Amino acid sequence: MSEDFAQQIREKARELLEKGEVTCVIGYETGTDGRTARPAFIYDAADADRLVFDNTCTHNLAKYLLNKKGQPTAVVVKACDARALNLLLGEKQIKREEFFAIGVVCPGVVESGWMRQGETLQLRCQGCTEHTPPLYDFLVGEPAEEPAPEPSYEDVAEIEGMELEGRTEFWAKQFERCIRCYGCRQVCPGCFCIDCFAELLDPEWVGIRIAPPEKQMWNLIRAFHLTGRCIGCRECERVCPVNIPLSLLNRKMEKEVLRLFGFKAGMSPEALMPLATYSKEDKLGIGE
Amino acid sequence: MSKLLEKEKLLPWLEQLAGERVLIAPTRVEELTLFAPVKDATEIVLDYENTALSPKEWLFPSTEVLFTIARKDSTPELVEKTIAERYVIFGIRPCDAKGIAALDLPFLSEPADSLYAQRRAQTALIGMSCLKPAPQCFCAAMGSAPNDASNVDIMLTEVEEGYLVEVVTEKGQGLLEGVELKEVDIEPPPCPDTAAVPAEGITEVLTRVFNDPFWARLADRCIHCNICAYVCPTCYCFDIRDYTAKGNTERIRTWESCQSPGFTRIAGGYDPRASKESRLRQRFYHKLCYFPEQFSGPLGCSGCGRCVVHCPVNIDIREVITRAQEIGREASAASG
Repeated sequence: MSEDFAQQIREKARELLEKGEVTCVIGYETGTDGRTARPAFIYDAADADRLVFDNTCTHNLAKYLLNKKGQPTAVVVKACDARALNLLLGEKQIKREEFFAIGVVCPGVVESGWMRQGETLQLRCQGCTEHTPPLYDFLVGEPAEEPAPEPSYEDVAEIEGMELEGRTEFWAKQFERCIRCYGCRQVCPGCFCIDCFAELLDPEWVGIRIAPPEKQMWNLIRAFHLTGRCIGCRECERVCPVNIPLSLLNRKMEKEVLRLFGFKAGMSPEALMPLATYSKEDKLGIGE
Repeated sequence: MSKLLEKEKLLPWLEQLAGERVLIAPTRVEELTLFAPVKDATEIVLDYENTALSPKEWLFPSTEVLFTIARKDSTPELVEKTIAERYVIFGIRPCDAKGIAALDLPFLSEPADSLYAQRRAQTALIGMSCLKPAPQCFCAAMGSAPNDASNVDIMLTEVEEGYLVEVVTEKGQGLLEGVELKEVDIEPPPCPDTAAVPAEGITEVLTRVFNDPFWARLADRCIHCNICAYVCPTCYCFDIRDYTAKGNTERIRTWESCQSPGFTRIAGGYDPRASKESRLRQRFYHKLCYFPEQFSGPLGCSGCGRCVVHCPVNIDIREVITRAQEIGREASAASG
């Protein structure tokens, strides 16, 4: 399967570059460990053979389009990555006419890292409700026919089930490890502010200390900023060098937004973000 | 003849050291191995390749107060900071010890950084040879080795009977007072190989390839987080800011990284390294070109491989070195 997918991606990439429809194709190639994938930028049709697609293609490539403004670019997207394209379109960060989406019906990716290729699917893939990208110009693979499963929030419910004290302690312990490297932010397709609140000098919301209060402040405000916007790629969690389970926060917010507004981020480019709009039907669960 | 510390005597010795100094050692936090202060020696893990984060935190903390300006009867008073504790870092790998030797160059060159200097003088390093280097390791290419004892106070090498003990400095000798070591005739295990990297001559090569398009292509992939800098044992850039609360002002220093978008932005908004490419290139130039030039010494990389493993997009310094050498050769051939 993966070789067949890779072949289709290569052919499409070659064609787009040869016809001059795009100046760059962003896909995946094999990394320096000789086994797991890394992002690849192909400018020349002759280099299209470098492209691969396999179950280590975990990276969400959608955000790279922000660096390609004004340059027609093709990008390989899995289902969750295509939701990031919708998010960026909806928030007017990219233009539809400036990119070509090579969608892949995604069978799921495994836990992987440099020299490390797991056997089980990542949790996000185990609970994936899409598989077929909600947006694409060219599709690799057959769209899934069976109905999508309901999202599961078992692990979120486990945290919700804790007493306040235990929950506070759980998160304090997790955030204590944070080194404020901003890996989570830099990899996140929803984090594209030119001046992030965490680094603003005036007003200075957080300050520069890499200490417990600032670590908590950073992680919690980020979770709020992604409320109703997180598309669930869990790249933040993958890149965290100290294994903070960040997606628990993001999925808690996703669950609440789904409950209150019936909204899931990135399913369409036109959808209005629940927290950026108001409707008389909005139920906030306060005083009701 | 060599000196041997028997296996069952290791933890009691560390326990004893923990009574005299703050003991920093590898511990397990969930699935991660991290250096942390240890009160009970049984918390120490011995089955680790290396820790997820380097031990630099204990000499160059991610956040520290440099000094305080206190107000006494409305008169400002400078309160200097001194480090009272003595530390011992146990289980440090040769690459990380070399990393500390690299930090010494900027921090101890005159005018020395007083807080770093105090911590450094009050910290002892007990090294542990690597018998099975990880695939990301390339310390030998950076001028060290899995059994390099040159940057620690005591070097331990595990053998079947216990640990061979190499006392490197007087400070190290002091740590062993009252500890019973056996005189044995045991050969240390052979030093294992680490990944080969063509680092020879890289400093000179980099002076010739600064404007190559390679850097822009590499930066395509970089997401400009600070992971590489913060897991790195030799990165030492920092930011400083003053915070005032209740009439007292603290000058704070925290880690910072040349990969941050605002790192070189100055008043008025100008940024001499505004492009992604110039920021990423700076990382490699600082380590492999400017650092050895400035200190007439070693490369500013110890080959621990943490950035190789942790980079979310596989920006691999070993590949960068290899590629820079190739570009340098191509340039020479073209001009030659």
